[in-house]
Amino acid sequence: MKARNVAIVFRKELTDTLRDRRTLISSLLLPLLLFPLLLAGVLGLTIIFVQRAERQTAQLVLLGEEHAPELARRIRSLEGVSVLRASNQYVQLINEKKLQAAVEFPPGLEINLRQNADQTQRVKVYWYEGELRSRFMLRRLQKVVKEYRDEIVKVRLAAHQLTAADARPFEFEQKNVAEAEKVTGNVLGFILPYFIIILCLTGAMYPAMDLTAGEKERGTMETILASPAGRGEIVLGKFLVVLLTSLTTTALSILSFAVTVIAGASALASISKEFVVQVSARSAATVFVVVLPLAVAFSAALMAISLIARNYREAQGYLAPLMFVVILPAMGSFLPGIELNAKLAMVPILNVSLLAKEIFAGQYSWKMMGMIFGWTCLYAAVALWFAARQFRREEVLFRT
Amino acid sequence: MIEAQKLCKEFQDKKRGKIRAVDQVSFRCQPGQIYGLLGANGAGKTTTLRMLATILKPTVGTAVVGGFDVVREPDQVRAHVGFLSTATALYGRLTAQEMVEYFGRLYGMEDGTLKKRVGEIFGRLGMEEFRDRRCDKLSTGMKQKVSIARTLVHDPPVMIFDEPTLGLDVMTARTIVGFIRECREQGKTVIFSTHVMSEAEKLCDTIGIIHDGKLLAEGTLEELRQRYQRPDLEEIFVHVVEAAA
Repeated sequence: MKARNVAIVFRKELTDTLRDRRTLISSLLLPLLLFPLLLAGVLGLTIIFVQRAERQTAQLVLLGEEHAPELARRIRSLEGVSVLRASNQYVQLINEKKLQAAVEFPPGLEINLRQNADQTQRVKVYWYEGELRSRFMLRRLQKVVKEYRDEIVKVRLAAHQLTAADARPFEFEQKNVAEAEKVTGNVLGFILPYFIIILCLTGAMYPAMDLTAGEKERGTMETILASPAGRGEIVLGKFLVVLLTSLTTTALSILSFAVTVIAGASALASISKEFVVQVSARSAATVFVVVLPLAVAFSAALMAISLIARNYREAQGYLAPLMFVVILPAMGSFLPGIELNAKLAMVPILNVSLLAKEIFAGQYSWKMMGMIFGWTCLYAAVALWFAARQFRREEVLFRT
Repeated sequence: MIEAQKLCKEFQDKKRGKIRAVDQVSFRCQPGQIYGLLGANGAGKTTTLRMLATILKPTVGTAVVGGFDVVREPDQVRAHVGFLSTATALYGRLTAQEMVEYFGRLYGMEDGTLKKRVGEIFGRLGMEEFRDRRCDKLSTGMKQKVSIARTLVHDPPVMIFDEPTLGLDVMTARTIVGFIRECREQGKTVIFSTHVMSEAEKLCDTIGIIHDGKLLAEGTLEELRQRYQRPDLEEIFVHVVEAAA
């Protein structure tokens, strides 16, 4: 095999690929825009829905209002709340989202409270979980009711010459000791490996189809086979372009994700102050190294399968089921409680997904990483051998 | 020179089982001559020529092309052959010059020599005007010129043409026919397949009639006329094929 010929084929195929609009969109533009668009889309929509829900007047009914005139007055004074006439149909109305909540006061609530009745009184709130406006209404009601209850407790404590500390002798505090990166890593570890694996596959998909089935369809296969370049040289040159595209897509997706996360950090922090977004460059680089043999396996397998097809469309038909074969194990990182072990380290794609999750969480072992890297290299070698074999099979090359 | 020695090619078909597309085909073509393989569609012309160009491997038999064996030295054979067919399309996203240079590099040409050679060919074929235009933007005639330039770039001693005028308009077909004649005048060994009788009559020094994978008759046009007592090549062809059926 002549390295010069491999380089010539590689250079030509790269030029050709960079001039293919489909490849540019799927391999370069999509990974660059996916995360910013996802984040902007999700955050934008959330903000729009929250603001709209906050702006809209909430409808409420008070059941047994005569038993709690003071509490009812406080609820009625809430801004943006409209109290409707009490109706027995309140459950149905809440279900139909015509009503956001119903508050039910027990008989003689405030009289009992003033008389220090022994029995705890129960104020019930009916609401609709999953509806944003109903949830907002519930929160506001909880605040009003809590304030009212605290006032009563305060009066009662004073009557017994007790302080607030007597009623609440100790606090139960939680303190998270995990580093910010690991907290973020745990969260990101669920989603990021999946996206990286899928983009690694889709990045290779279009050039793999274009340089094999596309070549057959355009009638250039015979042209290149008639050249002095050997079959091995041709397949290696093509493979290197597919691999480069796949790795570029992966690198761009990681880069795009990092930029998106930094840009969106303040927005995420507004959702939860404990959510500090921090991913180290080392984690990202380690994941990239782990994904490397997987990209080799994907590129070679996609080429070998696409080569069977007579044209681009047929190749798409063959590769569509492959997407599902990859998606399922790639989703391994979503599953909570799965721990990597020697057996799982052998399962292609799932092993990389779980390892990437652990790397982002900063909890990986070098031994496991070595095992998974080794297994993935083995699968990559098999895929590459298969692709090279396909390129030597006349019935595949000249299938019409 | 081209010398085919009992070339056979079998394919496996899912429905029909094993098919012998080329069966014991032997012939010889000398430098400065055009050998025409005449046959109907599916006769085995393309398979024979693909074996000579080492795109397909013979099941049995071999051939010596330009002094190299197609089975043992396929790389050397390809380096000394120019192969042109209607199936050898161009890379649409490359320019005419990039296309020809790509193949020149694969033929092992150094940059300086290649530039000079490409300049010569482009000048001779009148391709200067569209040298930087992408192949998918070229007319059929222009595309054929780029294909010719591609086969000529390394100045091969052997030229293989597989139905090169199929589907082309009269003017473009004439360019190709003229180019094939030029190759003979330059002393190249030329083999050419067609099912167009008039083309074979005009061009070929030797004609081989191939049918069902077998070479049924061979000779100069005059020899065939005398042997089969028919003045017209089409009549000869039909007679030979029917006699074999």
